Amino acid sequence: METVSLTINGKKIVTEKGKKVLWAALENGIFIPHLCSAGENSLPFGGCRLCFVEIEGKKEPVTSCTEEVTDGMVVNTRTESVLRLVRMGFELIMSRHPIICKECPANKKCALQDISREMGFKLKPKKLPQILPDLPVDDSHSLFTYNPNLCVLCGLCVYICNEIVKEAILDFNFRGFITKIGTFQNRTLAESKCNSCLKCVEACPVGALSKK
Amino acid sequence: MNNEREPDSKDELKIVKETLKNWEGDKNMIAMLLSIQDHLGYLPEEGMIEVARYLNISETTIYGVATFYNQFRFTPPGKNHIQVCMGTACHVKRGNIVMESWERRLEIKEGEVTEDREFSLERVNCVGCCVLAPVTVINKEVRGQMDPTKVDGILLKYQLGKEVETKRKKESESRTEEGCKESNDGKNS
Amino acid sequence: MMERTVSERFEELKKNALKDFPGMYGKKGITIYVGTATCGRSAGSLEVLSSFEDILKTLNIEARIVQVGCHGHCYAEPMAVVSKPGWPPIMYGYLTPNRAQILIKRFFNEEDPALEWALGAMEENDMVPTVYETPRWFREQRWLLKNCGCIDPEDINHYIAVGGYEGLTCALKIEPLEIIEEIKKAGLRGLGGAGFETWKKWDICRDTPLFPKYLICNADEGDPGAFMDRTILESDPHSIIEGMIIAGYAIGAESGYIYVRKEYPQAVSVLTTAVCQARELGLLGKNILDSKISFDIKINQGAGAFVCGEETALIASIEGKRGMPKPRPPYPANRGLLGKPTLINNVKTLASIPKILAYGAEKVSSVGMEGCMGTAVFALAGKIKNAGLVEIPFGTTLREIIFDIGGGVPSRIKVSNVAGELPKTIKKQFKAVQIGGPSGGCLPESLLDTPVCFDTIVDTGAIMGSGGMVVMDEDNCAVETARYFLEFTQKESCGKCTFCRIGTKHMLNILADITRGAGIMEDIDLLEELAETIKQGSLCNLGKTSPNPILTTLCYFREEYEAHILDKRCPSLECKDLIAYYIMPEKCQRACDACVGSCPTEAIYTRRDRLKAIDQEKCVKCANCMDACPAQYDAVIKISPISQLPESEPRDDDGQKK
Repeated sequence: METVSLTINGKKIVTEKGKKVLWAALENGIFIPHLCSAGENSLPFGGCRLCFVEIEGKKEPVTSCTEEVTDGMVVNTRTESVLRLVRMGFELIMSRHPIICKECPANKKCALQDISREMGFKLKPKKLPQILPDLPVDDSHSLFTYNPNLCVLCGLCVYICNEIVKEAILDFNFRGFITKIGTFQNRTLAESKCNSCLKCVEACPVGALSKK
Repeated sequence: MNNEREPDSKDELKIVKETLKNWEGDKNMIAMLLSIQDHLGYLPEEGMIEVARYLNISETTIYGVATFYNQFRFTPPGKNHIQVCMGTACHVKRGNIVMESWERRLEIKEGEVTEDREFSLERVNCVGCCVLAPVTVINKEVRGQMDPTKVDGILLKYQLGKEVETKRKKESESRTEEGCKESNDGKNS
Repeated sequence: MMERTVSERFEELKKNALKDFPGMYGKKGITIYVGTATCGRSAGSLEVLSSFEDILKTLNIEARIVQVGCHGHCYAEPMAVVSKPGWPPIMYGYLTPNRAQILIKRFFNEEDPALEWALGAMEENDMVPTVYETPRWFREQRWLLKNCGCIDPEDINHYIAVGGYEGLTCALKIEPLEIIEEIKKAGLRGLGGAGFETWKKWDICRDTPLFPKYLICNADEGDPGAFMDRTILESDPHSIIEGMIIAGYAIGAESGYIYVRKEYPQAVSVLTTAVCQARELGLLGKNILDSKISFDIKINQGAGAFVCGEETALIASIEGKRGMPKPRPPYPANRGLLGKPTLINNVKTLASIPKILAYGAEKVSSVGMEGCMGTAVFALAGKIKNAGLVEIPFGTTLREIIFDIGGGVPSRIKVSNVAGELPKTIKKQFKAVQIGGPSGGCLPESLLDTPVCFDTIVDTGAIMGSGGMVVMDEDNCAVETARYFLEFTQKESCGKCTFCRIGTKHMLNILADITRGAGIMEDIDLLEELAETIKQGSLCNLGKTSPNPILTTLCYFREEYEAHILDKRCPSLECKDLIAYYIMPEKCQRACDACVGSCPTEAIYTRRDRLKAIDQEKCVKCANCMDACPAQYDAVIKISPISQLPESEPRDDDGQKK
């Protein structure tokens, strides 16, 4: 196994060649916000836009989920330009996410709460007004609830359902601001051919999909 | 939305099945959906289910793809489909006033169909006829240099055309009645 | 049997093609060339064509009618070139079915060429002034548009007869690396807007050791206001096919796709015919022109998504998926369609290739400027006299394009209904030119001396884009223009990444508030911050360039934003919530009813003093009354801010204001 040594936030790290910066950092206890990455063996999705880092020699911050480690690389995850970018990205997500932690099934197990705590970002957006969705909650399935208003469109449930379990019950529907995860004809899960494996619920980083 | 009606499912399913049966070339999902849309004017649920069956993929995948693209409708259009171009050149030449005129005269909003299903109204991106801005496409025919007065003119012409058609129908119906009556009288006498 | 060489096979095709070709502007007999591309048809050219056919039959004149594509001079459609022995070929514009009939009668019975309807002769002669006497014509240098409007796009023999497929013949005799070298010498840069060096992209793809490779022609032309690609697709499809075969050979691909937008049905139809004809003559398929090279083309239709102009989204669409872009690397040239090396080039880039190979890089790039060699095609639209396509060398300034060639901003003519009185001409001032579509920006008068080139335009904050140029005058509001583009981008966002999906929504909401008079000064700071982060944070160029209209209008028209926010005033009198239409009592004529009939909502009432006034609650601000009011009164004006509107006078009908 070929190894590579690099520096992240001043800490020297040795890791496998071919690994992405995000995973090299996480497995060495350095937190980088991330929502949409399914794991180091899957292709990066590139949707959440939170895992930015600055790499010496590169003009602009880059996403750490797509950047491969190189020998001698110097990475900084908390520079001013990175923080400015990530803070705004987080605010944008939170401007679309109801802040109802106490009632939320993912309370204390939520990736958004983790990011808020680790990065020192407030959950409630400071600069942007909230434009919250008002979609019906799908309570039809016997084993889990789907609340699309809590969805951050990370795409992990779609990935699991299509690429891993290969049932293809869930997918992205519509486009742009009104994109929603849904089933055929945007019907309830009870009407779909869901096999109740609950893998999507396990994958969901927030409270959109939750066990009953 | 005022466009719920039962589509003529049996006929439409037949057309979908024919289209797929005679499909030549690549098994390209989008091309198939476009073809069905061209034949029927919209994508009925049965159409999507058939394509899923034909390609052996999930219906959800079909729906996810179809809802992504502008071209696909999921409800039938009106008898006359009106597409108002809102490209840059049309916008700069008051295209939004033209759209408002259509909305006001037809009493529907963009994306809707009139109650009698005679007209449907859609906003489209550039159709590439920028020199004639602002442009409205009516039943695939491009009309240039539109303004509120022309909108009125087109609808008036349509209205008059309908009246003539209704009159003709009534006349031919009454002629048929008379003809039947005469032959009945002939039989009776 | 000796194998034929590529040249021999081509000479056979050429000989055959020349047999039937009527000649560029008819050197054989009487020929009438009628432009029937989409813009021509929309203007009525098919009716003009029928009219020509009828009159020729009636007068028993043996003539040939050839349907050609678009010349690019769309402002004069419907157009036709009449070629009669003894006369130079003459181009006519603004034709109607009636004029077509009269023209033929006069020209053929009375030797009177009806020059009042002519734009001019198409070649030098002693009798008729040529079209090249006006800058709109003589400033053009037509390489890409060389054949457009001159040949029948649905007859491959026309294309071959005027020199088509000679570039391919030259290419097949040299090695791929030599072809790429020639493209490098020509300095060709991606004409889809990115301006990336074409030869580099080809070389990366050629060098990737993975097969099969694919070539895609991006004919999605999503920019609203752009129709350059459509014109080439409909008027000279073989230039694209030829370019694709050469590119395929150079990179080692045997399969090509042309991805055309669904909104261009005529282009799809013309291309389908062209591909079939090319196959029939052995120019597509296996062993092209008896060489070892094989290449074939499939035509794919888009289904309506602006984002599919982005390479990875386009590939996803061809694969039958949602058009959501992917992170890069890997780049399509290394891993694209179905995971294989894929070269994606724009229509204009591919159409340039045959000329470079046939005429040589030096000749084609002898015009232009440092860093941007050759010519560019622009689609001029909006508030401009000579709208249409114009092909000019890189380095021409915006001012020359808009004013010398484009003819400048048209005045508004108001007709008087007083007998004998001339119409009133209201001059309109140029305000800005929008370049680069929704990814571009609005440039003011002060920047009009910028020479057109990828790099110089980027320095202004806009991008050159695909070539759409929409001209705006004093009646167009800069803030509303920014809002319009954000509305477009928001609708077309694929929704995958947070910055674009949610960020553009916030920018749009802020702009909508400002145009409604509900903005605050802090909004401008927030807009700028959002713009900077969206530029950096978005996944693809749709998102990254979406703030450009805002950033350029804030930079060059900031005072308009401030007027909207601080004074609730729209200086251009466009934003509906900030303007009111008003009939000036001192100019209104008691006995005149012109405005009343024109109002679609019956908002105009008669005052007690018999003058007309507008009920603001019913007014929909369509400007019909302003257009209808005769020039000698010109009583209707727009007022902004609305607080400046004078108190309304009582109505005549019941003495009470309803």
